[in-house]
Amino acid sequence: MYPAINLGPLVLPTASFIILIGVWVCLVLAERIARRLGLDADIMSGLVTTGIIAGFIGARLTFVFLYWPAYQDNLLGIVWPLNSGFNIWGGIFFGAAAMFFYARAKQIPAAPYLDALAPVFVSGLMFVSLADFLGGPGFGTFTQMPWGIESYDMRRHPVQLYEIAAGAVALIAWWYYQKRRVFEGQLFLITTIIYGLGRLFVDAYRANTWIASGGWHGLQILCLLAVLVALFLLMRGSENAKIASA
Amino acid sequence: MMNSRFEWAIIFLIVLLLGGAWIVESRESNIEPKNFLLTEAPLVGHLAPDFTAQTTDNETYALKEYIASEGENGRPVVLNFWASWCGPCRMEMPAFDRASLKFADRAAILGINQAESAETIKRFAQTTGVTYPLLVDEDQNINNKYAVLNLPTTIFIDGEGVIREVFVGTMNQAVLEDKINALLEE
Repeated sequence: MYPAINLGPLVLPTASFIILIGVWVCLVLAERIARRLGLDADIMSGLVTTGIIAGFIGARLTFVFLYWPAYQDNLLGIVWPLNSGFNIWGGIFFGAAAMFFYARAKQIPAAPYLDALAPVFVSGLMFVSLADFLGGPGFGTFTQMPWGIESYDMRRHPVQLYEIAAGAVALIAWWYYQKRRVFEGQLFLITTIIYGLGRLFVDAYRANTWIASGGWHGLQILCLLAVLVALFLLMRGSENAKIASA
Repeated sequence: MMNSRFEWAIIFLIVLLLGGAWIVESRESNIEPKNFLLTEAPLVGHLAPDFTAQTTDNETYALKEYIASEGENGRPVVLNFWASWCGPCRMEMPAFDRASLKFADRAAILGINQAESAETIKRFAQTTGVTYPLLVDEDQNINNKYAVLNLPTTIFIDGEGVIREVFVGTMNQAVLEDKINALLEE
């Protein structure tokens, strides 16, 4: 919709700009939530910063690996310039792996920090959806609904806004349960279930989604698996908490 | 929170059934026959959005001139989005120039600038000696139509006007020629 913001001679890519704001918001949020839940804010910041940096490097290296012929005669191009060429799945994988090893190295208990990370993850993904809505290549399927938006000469579902709404519901649920937490890890599992269900539902309306072999929406399958695993762990956690309190 | 395993099992089952049903309902092969329509979109498999633009010498180029129509065969088109300040764009331009000469009558290569003035583009073309058409898109109409976020971006369109590949990043001569040859062999 607005791929670039023109500031005189400067052309600012909207999506990159929104992602930068998102990174900043996530870092601030991580610190504040850590304090709210009684965790070490410095460790939390370190965890999130490690994830972001590793995610950035991982996204770049994955892209270079996928398009190696374009770089084999220009190795300097791997590191500079960095205005293009990132793979989001590589970023997520390497970011998560780096956070895991950081947590292991610092001997951080997983459950309470995952509780604190849940709203940070969801907020980050909401910024990704916002960037995609304002300046990204994503778009929804056709619709005649009154809230449809004109995109590429057709009336389409504003699917990125649906994703943001799913994130907002998950954040509200996190906020509601943080004062009623029964066991550590519960907030992370509840947020995963709600956001996962939301993305599972709205992905049907994304026209440029990842289509797996056989026409299946890959993201929907991943979401359903994540929701079922989280439900199972929530059940186990609740049972253990009940036994402990008895 | 729920009390018994039975309640949990019911929830688990409901999520599994409803989620699974929704995934089956959303499956592409189920959707397409209902409202299949080959529309213009900057996405592989869709029709390339049409445009008309001018070079700095006021020569007009329209995408539809290259696309097959009423019995006439079309030619593949390669759209290369660039800007004079973009280092990687400048680096790959000689490859595009050589390819435009090599495939002159079989495929078209069009350079589409991002947001710069005709004067800047003209000066750039004179300095570098690029010979393929460099189209002006100062108000970013074409860049917006193709949702170009990163530079350079190269879009490969077949003779039927369908986008076959969107390539973000720099490209060397061999990769570019391979991709054009693939379009010509279709």
